[in-house]
Amino acid sequence: MFFLKRFGSIAIGLLVCLAIDAIAGGMDDFSRRLIILAGLYVTLSVSLNLINGITGQFSMGHAAFYQVGAYASGYFAVTFYGKIPWLTGPMWIIAMMGVSAIAAAIAGLIVGLPSLRLKGDYLGIVTLGFGEIIRIIVQNQEVIGGSYGMNVQPKFPVLFGGTGTSGVWMVWVLAFICIAVCRNLLKTVHGLPFLAVREDEVASSAMGVNVTKMKVIAFLIGSSFAGAAGALLAHYEGFLTPTMFTMDVSFIILTMVVLGGTGSITGSALAAAVLFYLPEKLRDLPPVPVAYIAGGIVSVLLMVSVMKRISITYHGPKGKGALLYFGTFFGAAALSFVLGLILSAVPSIAQMEAIEANRLRMVIFAGTLIILMLLRPQGVLGHHEFSWTWVRRVLGIKNRPSKAVSA
Amino acid sequence: MYDLTNTVAGLNFSALPQTLTNGILNGAIYALIALGYTMVYGVLRLINFAHGEVFMLGAYVALLTSYALGYGPAASGDPTNPLLSLAIMLLLSMTICAIIGVLIERFAYRPLRSQPRIASLITAIGVSLLLQYGGALFLPVSPPPSIKETVNPPEFRKPVTIVLTQPDEKITQTIADLKPAYEEAKQKWEAQKKIEKDEFELTPEGEAIRSEFQEKERAYSGAVREADTSSNKIIVPTGKLIMLSTSMFLMVILWYLVTRTRAGRAMRAVSHDFDSAALMGVDVNKIVTLTFVIGSSLAGAGAMMLASFQGTPLTTFFGLQPGVKAFVAAVLGGIGNIPGAVLGGLLMGVAEDMVIWAGYSEYKDAVALVILIIVLLFRPGGILGSSKVEKV
Repeated sequence: MFFLKRFGSIAIGLLVCLAIDAIAGGMDDFSRRLIILAGLYVTLSVSLNLINGITGQFSMGHAAFYQVGAYASGYFAVTFYGKIPWLTGPMWIIAMMGVSAIAAAIAGLIVGLPSLRLKGDYLGIVTLGFGEIIRIIVQNQEVIGGSYGMNVQPKFPVLFGGTGTSGVWMVWVLAFICIAVCRNLLKTVHGLPFLAVREDEVASSAMGVNVTKMKVIAFLIGSSFAGAAGALLAHYEGFLTPTMFTMDVSFIILTMVVLGGTGSITGSALAAAVLFYLPEKLRDLPPVPVAYIAGGIVSVLLMVSVMKRISITYHGPKGKGALLYFGTFFGAAALSFVLGLILSAVPSIAQMEAIEANRLRMVIFAGTLIILMLLRPQGVLGHHEFSWTWVRRVLGIKNRPSKAVSA
Repeated sequence: MYDLTNTVAGLNFSALPQTLTNGILNGAIYALIALGYTMVYGVLRLINFAHGEVFMLGAYVALLTSYALGYGPAASGDPTNPLLSLAIMLLLSMTICAIIGVLIERFAYRPLRSQPRIASLITAIGVSLLLQYGGALFLPVSPPPSIKETVNPPEFRKPVTIVLTQPDEKITQTIADLKPAYEEAKQKWEAQKKIEKDEFELTPEGEAIRSEFQEKERAYSGAVREADTSSNKIIVPTGKLIMLSTSMFLMVILWYLVTRTRAGRAMRAVSHDFDSAALMGVDVNKIVTLTFVIGSSLAGAGAMMLASFQGTPLTTFFGLQPGVKAFVAAVLGGIGNIPGAVLGGLLMGVAEDMVIWAGYSEYKDAVALVILIIVLLFRPGGILGSSKVEKV
């Protein structure tokens, strides 16, 4: 039964990947690009979650591992591609993912070692610094293109023959493997020490957990997945520059982890997909008049304060609380619209030039970040995982009574 | 392989005093920003990532004030009262930065004070991104505007030269010997130039005169250069001296405030132990607000001085690099420690200019982080800080 379930889930995972591939194959280039990048961000955020959320080592330089992986595979592709006859297509990508994972794991080891001495904010700062140092070093190496960037050949679509399979499944297989590794680690006895280290280092070492080993292993696994994602990025983009791996990227990945809920694998995966999609989709919006932006800001401030008050003072039944929240949310949306209408009647505001939605992208990202942190500091899912039992409970379906155990 | 002896010999040691001076001048600004980081960390145990953005807004306030005072991009002519306008710019930047700092604390950090520290940290990152990208919607960004040089009175723009050692006497003699011949050849060539039709098609006569002039010029300028490298001198723009003295003045005021006043004592108490201070009747919220007022206004002062005396073009990402460096400076000196921040800022500035001096200017931004990592690995408390041992 156990193995049936396991093989079943592997088969379903592969089928989902192929389905994504088939769907993405029919889409335009931009949408396919979004799906690929979303998959990469899921991998990145779940792998960072292993370091940050599960082991509790506050790492802020995940873009560094991503960069090391991308450049390692890029350099390998430039030097070795075509010299080994049987390495073509998916095989080449798999080999490159391996190479990048090893390169990034070495980088992770180097970063993991200071984590033996540092903790909390200080570790965060060091990892952040490490990320920037790697970027600056890469920027000044002529061999890998310096600040001009490196041309990686062959590109992803070429490797997969252009049409037919688009190679999207490769990205999602990596994401699913990453999720599966983290999930299985947590479900088995090997994952408990990680959680112990997060909760209390001193106590867990007193209980016989090798704290050092656990921290380094977390860094190794997390960074190697980020490196493999980097390899896919390098071959998908076909071009790498150091500006693709700035501090902002690290912050965005960290944000996904924290918003999804530190320690929740499904949380960080969902947050990665949503947080990546929302700002990209904003590009399609028409220019927004200033009046509506002002109305939006006012109503968001109102919404935050009202929701905060509800969460402090309301102690009634759960369903009604949720209704209050939704009411506030939609009320605020309506208010922002009304305020926008009123403000656009003011001539001086109406004459202001409308702002392109594209430029609002990062502003909305930052705003979402602050608001979610204020309303729910532990992240959307907190320490919980998504599960069908939870869905049933939310939908009000009662669980089947478990079989009575005969004495 | 690098030839180490060559690299060492290649360094221009006579430029060292100038390098150190530049480093201290830059370091003073880093110290001003670092004070904000260190005070907030000392009181709230929070890395205020938005501090660099407060700095950026301070520079923009100075810019817009200078526009309002008649130094706009289209303005021309001499300033009417430059000292007064500089003072207005400084005061306005400090005030508005203080207000922004307090608003950020009130609406972004205070609601999260009882939550785990990572939540406040993420909020700080969010605020910083919001100010960077949100500012770009409303502030002038392209082409990057800069405060007009005419804001400084002409006497502020003159450099002060301090000669430490005179050039070698022999070389001075050589220069004096070469000078008449050089001047003569130069005059001859200038006269010939007027006769010649085209500079690229010289007559044989003109060719000879030019080659003679070039030869003389080479010898002369070589000697001058040699004299330059054999002498030690420091050139400081007066504006930067004013920058340094103003920052030192502000730091002295801060020191007085923290060590000699009631509010300063309360601040030290809160930074020592948040909860006990609250129990002892210190109004913690007031003290935190005061901390943000002081830290942000110092950042505003630094930003105004950097933007107007250096004339750096402004973008909304202007605060990122100084912010990171000042933060490193704060950690270097021992975060939470006020003299430490000043020391760290000065060291940071000097280290950066030393790297440029050694010929690795492309690694200028990395040196801060390398220093940071080394310091944290070997002395996690910083230079003046103390490291605590965790007890169960």
